[in-house]
Amino acid sequence: MSTLLQEIEAQISGLKTGVTRQNVGTVREIGDGVAKIEGLSDAMLNEMLDFGDGVIGLALNLEETEVGAIILGDYTAIKEGQEVKTTGKLLQVPVGKELLGRVVSALGQPLDGKGPIDAKTFYPVEKIAPGIIKRKSVSQPVQTGIMAVDAMIPIGRGQRELIIGDRSTGKTTIGIDTIISQARLNRAAEQAKDASYRPLYCIYVAIGQKQSNVARVVAVLEEAGAMPYTIIVDASASDSATNQYLAPFAGCAMGEWFMDNAMDALIIYDDLSKHAVAYRQVSLVLKRPSGREAYPGDVFYLHSRLLERSARVSEKYGNGSLTGLPIIETQAGDVSAYIPTNVISITDGQIYLETDLFYQGIRPAISVGLSVSRVGSAAQIKAMKQVAGRVKLELAQYRELAAFAQFGSDLDPKTQALLERGKRIVEVFKQPQYNPIAVEVQAAVLWTVQNNLMDDVPVEKIKDFQYKLTEYLTSRKGAVMDKIRAEKAFSDPLANELKAAVTEFKQTYR
Amino acid sequence: MKISKQARRDARELFRTCMVRDALDENRARQAVTGVIQKKPRGYVAVLSHFERLIRLEVSRRTATVESATALPPQEQALIQGDLTRQYGAGLAFRFIENPALIGGVRIQVGGDVYNGSVQGRLEQLGSQN
Repeated sequence: MSTLLQEIEAQISGLKTGVTRQNVGTVREIGDGVAKIEGLSDAMLNEMLDFGDGVIGLALNLEETEVGAIILGDYTAIKEGQEVKTTGKLLQVPVGKELLGRVVSALGQPLDGKGPIDAKTFYPVEKIAPGIIKRKSVSQPVQTGIMAVDAMIPIGRGQRELIIGDRSTGKTTIGIDTIISQARLNRAAEQAKDASYRPLYCIYVAIGQKQSNVARVVAVLEEAGAMPYTIIVDASASDSATNQYLAPFAGCAMGEWFMDNAMDALIIYDDLSKHAVAYRQVSLVLKRPSGREAYPGDVFYLHSRLLERSARVSEKYGNGSLTGLPIIETQAGDVSAYIPTNVISITDGQIYLETDLFYQGIRPAISVGLSVSRVGSAAQIKAMKQVAGRVKLELAQYRELAAFAQFGSDLDPKTQALLERGKRIVEVFKQPQYNPIAVEVQAAVLWTVQNNLMDDVPVEKIKDFQYKLTEYLTSRKGAVMDKIRAEKAFSDPLANELKAAVTEFKQTYR
Repeated sequence: MKISKQARRDARELFRTCMVRDALDENRARQAVTGVIQKKPRGYVAVLSHFERLIRLEVSRRTATVESATALPPQEQALIQGDLTRQYGAGLAFRFIENPALIGGVRIQVGGDVYNGSVQGRLEQLGSQN
């Protein structure tokens, strides 16, 4: 009995006996997930507000006589006149490796039924991007496993590369392929105990997507064994506009933790068009003035501050990186609309996907002319640079001549050779989804094309030739592939070895 | 009632004229209301309702509500008044209220600031910790 008394006494003495000051306000108006609160004279911008019963709001408008707050969660229980308290805390989400393999909400709460997340660290969702002193130029590659991207539009760690295109042109697939490719590379390095390889962790943020689409993405990633290296942040179409607005910032905070702790991460925002729409809704119910297409004036700042947080930091600050792959959906191929032009101008390049190419069977449907990577070539490995340097030019020439050749029947041998080469390159770049290709295989195949070793293969058999050659090189000539991977460049002896291997294969190919 | 931007602006201007050295002059406020009602400018009802709101917020900002479980003796009331005047400056209006639901202790609210030293407040704090 005496121990019980002691325990109670200890518990009581542990309580703060001093009177603390709290700042409170009262709800004046509530509706559409937005509350107007009188009082709250000490509220900070983006501060969490306590509505009681576990309901949290976020102060977004600080006005002369009231505070406009968005409610995170169910707002139907909030009544006019209810008391609201400030918490002194900015909105934060759990971060760390504990989140890998999990599907979480915009607030970091688990959605996958795999139990609670035991995260020890929390990061604020809004954070200032690393400054000039902390940054370093992009120099390490992100191997997407998509040959057309790795060869012509290379992406470096810390880069922001926009994926843009109409609906159902394969935008998400490029993101998923990249995640699968990273998982394969991470696992291969783990198994080989390669300490020099820096694993790349992935974060997929679904904004305003259909739940069925997100479920499919999760299933694909699980099947490919990519989930242990991936975090999925889900604010689907049925979630409130508030959660959709916060989701990319929450995902970015999770990615920043990897960057701050000397690791590399990649974040895919799928997609920022729906994010802008969600932000427009939040802004309009907060009665902020609207501008072009009813978007608020700070919609550019919304995306620029988000994407600026993707960076490569220098060795002094841990050498980590956060690569951003935002996705934008265009309407009828109009890249000159408001949000697409904004995001194009913020990012370090774009991968433009075309509906026409998609339906012609050229998948991934990357438009070579409009796609560009402004910084990625610095991160490309030398072997790829050696073989892919001329590919973009050859493809551009091919497209120009292909249009011209439709009208003329007699073509000079040089033009014919260019057309034939172009057709083969187009075939080589076709790739089924969820099937990333290792960089050494990509380099070897492109080397074969560039060294005229595919010129005698009929165009319709190029894909078959490529598969069989890949199989032959990986199963029978593993040593050559290992050398390409290790040396990362085609030296003369290596080129001779590869030439001998391809020639040998061609003798058996039928 | 829909209050236009112009009405808000006018009400704010009217409110500013009623402030003397950061404190509300009640006579000026009364005069302002009478003057507006007599002149009846365009949208004057909206102006007055927003003006009323501004006055209400200002009054609550400068009012200290002291709640206690039992009536406070005059010495303690004077002590509290002195402390609050030191912190918030002169011109505070005081309201002393008996609230048995507090069980014991005192709860003071000045504008949006709440100092909760009541037993009820501590029990709530204990409840939120578990």
